[in-house]
Amino acid sequence: MEDKKNGDDSLQTNDKPSTDIKPKKDIAESRPAAPEDASPSVPIATEAETPAAVGATKQEAAADRPPSLPARYEPRRDEDASPVAAKSVSVEKPQSFFAERPLPPIEMAPRVLRYQSRRDFLVFGAGALAALAGAGLLLPQETLARIGINRNMDSPAKEWFLNRALRIDDDVAEALYSVNRSVPTYTKSQITPLKNNYNGSTPDPAYISGWKLTLSGLASGLSISLDIRNLLTRFPAHEQITRLVCVEGWSAIAWWAGLRFDDLLHAYPPMSQAKWALVESSVNLDASGNPDPYFMALDLPTLRHPQTLLATYFNGQPLTVDHGAPLRLLVPMKLGLKNVKAVTRITYMAEEPRDYWAERGYSLYDGI
Amino acid sequence: MAALPHEPKATSTLPAQPAVLVVKKHHSLVRWSHWLNVPILLGLILSGISIYWASPIYQQTPDRNTGNTDVAADIGIWIRAHVPGLHHYSSPPDWIYNHMSLGPGMLGLALRLHWLCAYLFMLNGMVYVAGLVMGGGWRSLLPRRTDLLDALRMFRYYVGFPFAKLARREWPHPVFNTKYNALQRAAYFSVPVAGFLSVATGWAIHKPMQLHWLAALFGGYNAARVWHFWLMWIYIQFVVPHVILVFADGWDTLRSMIVGWSTRVERPEVIANGG
Repeated sequence: MEDKKNGDDSLQTNDKPSTDIKPKKDIAESRPAAPEDASPSVPIATEAETPAAVGATKQEAAADRPPSLPARYEPRRDEDASPVAAKSVSVEKPQSFFAERPLPPIEMAPRVLRYQSRRDFLVFGAGALAALAGAGLLLPQETLARIGINRNMDSPAKEWFLNRALRIDDDVAEALYSVNRSVPTYTKSQITPLKNNYNGSTPDPAYISGWKLTLSGLASGLSISLDIRNLLTRFPAHEQITRLVCVEGWSAIAWWAGLRFDDLLHAYPPMSQAKWALVESSVNLDASGNPDPYFMALDLPTLRHPQTLLATYFNGQPLTVDHGAPLRLLVPMKLGLKNVKAVTRITYMAEEPRDYWAERGYSLYDGI
Repeated sequence: MAALPHEPKATSTLPAQPAVLVVKKHHSLVRWSHWLNVPILLGLILSGISIYWASPIYQQTPDRNTGNTDVAADIGIWIRAHVPGLHHYSSPPDWIYNHMSLGPGMLGLALRLHWLCAYLFMLNGMVYVAGLVMGGGWRSLLPRRTDLLDALRMFRYYVGFPFAKLARREWPHPVFNTKYNALQRAAYFSVPVAGFLSVATGWAIHKPMQLHWLAALFGGYNAARVWHFWLMWIYIQFVVPHVILVFADGWDTLRSMIVGWSTRVERPEVIANGG
């Protein structure tokens, strides 16, 4: 098909008075194949010069041929029977829908094939370089340092882009969440050990005796403090055996009991514009044992879920200090890091609150 | 293509440049998604092994001396002890993670990159499927009833090839009148299936509560993590022979995945009909 178009060009130059460009083109085309490789600019330049030749770079089959051409070509075809005729599938057998079809061969001038190969190799090569540069830019600085790039590649744009990916994933998680969908529950025989995941330093249990839960951001405008006795006597207990999934990948099935968060929301309704709760633990310590208050952003729809508990019992026993005595948040539809131990304060907010792990490069919503 | 009643023969007007016959072997969407898979899969594997570091699925009883439970760390220790030149390597338990991942101790960064690459991988998978449908290439990937026998013939060919070369003996390539031989077809069919399963197991362990039915399909959350891990190895063990064979097969095969055209049109039915 391509050759036919090239033939068309030469035909035109024969038929019509030639312009100053076309003879050059004819020379370029009628030369043997090899010289073109030596001067790569020639075929590209000539192809750009006449509309018909530009058409030759397009690879559609005969359908895109200008309507005027066939008549002119008919006699030529009759007198020249080429040995490389390309009517491959003229005898088409009835085929099943799934049967492999032969690929229809197309005639192409070698220079067009070469030109296209060169062009596409350049395009794909440029793409490969761009991908290399882009990927390099997105890698963590520590990884770049390991391969010998010590220049700091961190930038606000890189942070923005990577956080954007986190946000998209959070939006997907939020869309997947339904307050009516229960998380799977298990039997007591399926319970697995749950390690103390305080990062090396468990708080001194002395805090438990003076522990209070403070609620603020309430519809009443007041700040309320509740001790564990208030909570245990006022609200009915619920129990469930659910899986706690850590962002690291491990998980544990445990038997929890406590009050429903939804019951607390009904007893002490948040202010009307509240969409979030900031759940804090003031007793958390960092790895070296210094105070490191822990704070988590939780969306109200998750807190209204019937399987979201303020747990006071673990595997049939009152919570021990390593599991967040005397009361911890249990949100099995969130990653473990949202399950704040030893909750000391809950603040309802209209705006998205700060979040301990989101500030350290993890996602914010963490719905699983 | 069957209806080309007035196909002119340019060879007649330009005898110096006989036309070549080419076939469109790969749709452009297939070509683009094929190459895009290289950085995306690399990003997924490197970040994936960094994520694995945080909680290895293969653990053992703690080592008496080091307290180490990670089998991958043990492999690193073994490598340092047995591979010449590594005796001074400073953190042997991290050897695997230092060489096959973004690095140890960067879970947050690795997760961020993993999600980014995972969404790109899914988008790219859709581009690939669109290209297969638009170019009709999907038909060439479907398994056939004769594939088992043909795969054995191809396997015999590949295994015998080096010996035949050494012995300077004729070693004819088995003849197929299909786009791919049975071994290629098995590989090119199973890799997209693995891609689909990787995405499915990925969602199963990413959203084990909202999509708990999906996790259950793979035997639960923990089993889905094992699936997800081993599916990665399918890509790794696919890529090595894939790259070797493309280079062994030559320029036309490489070009067909970049430019789309192949000059190998000498398939039996083409010759039969054309001649």
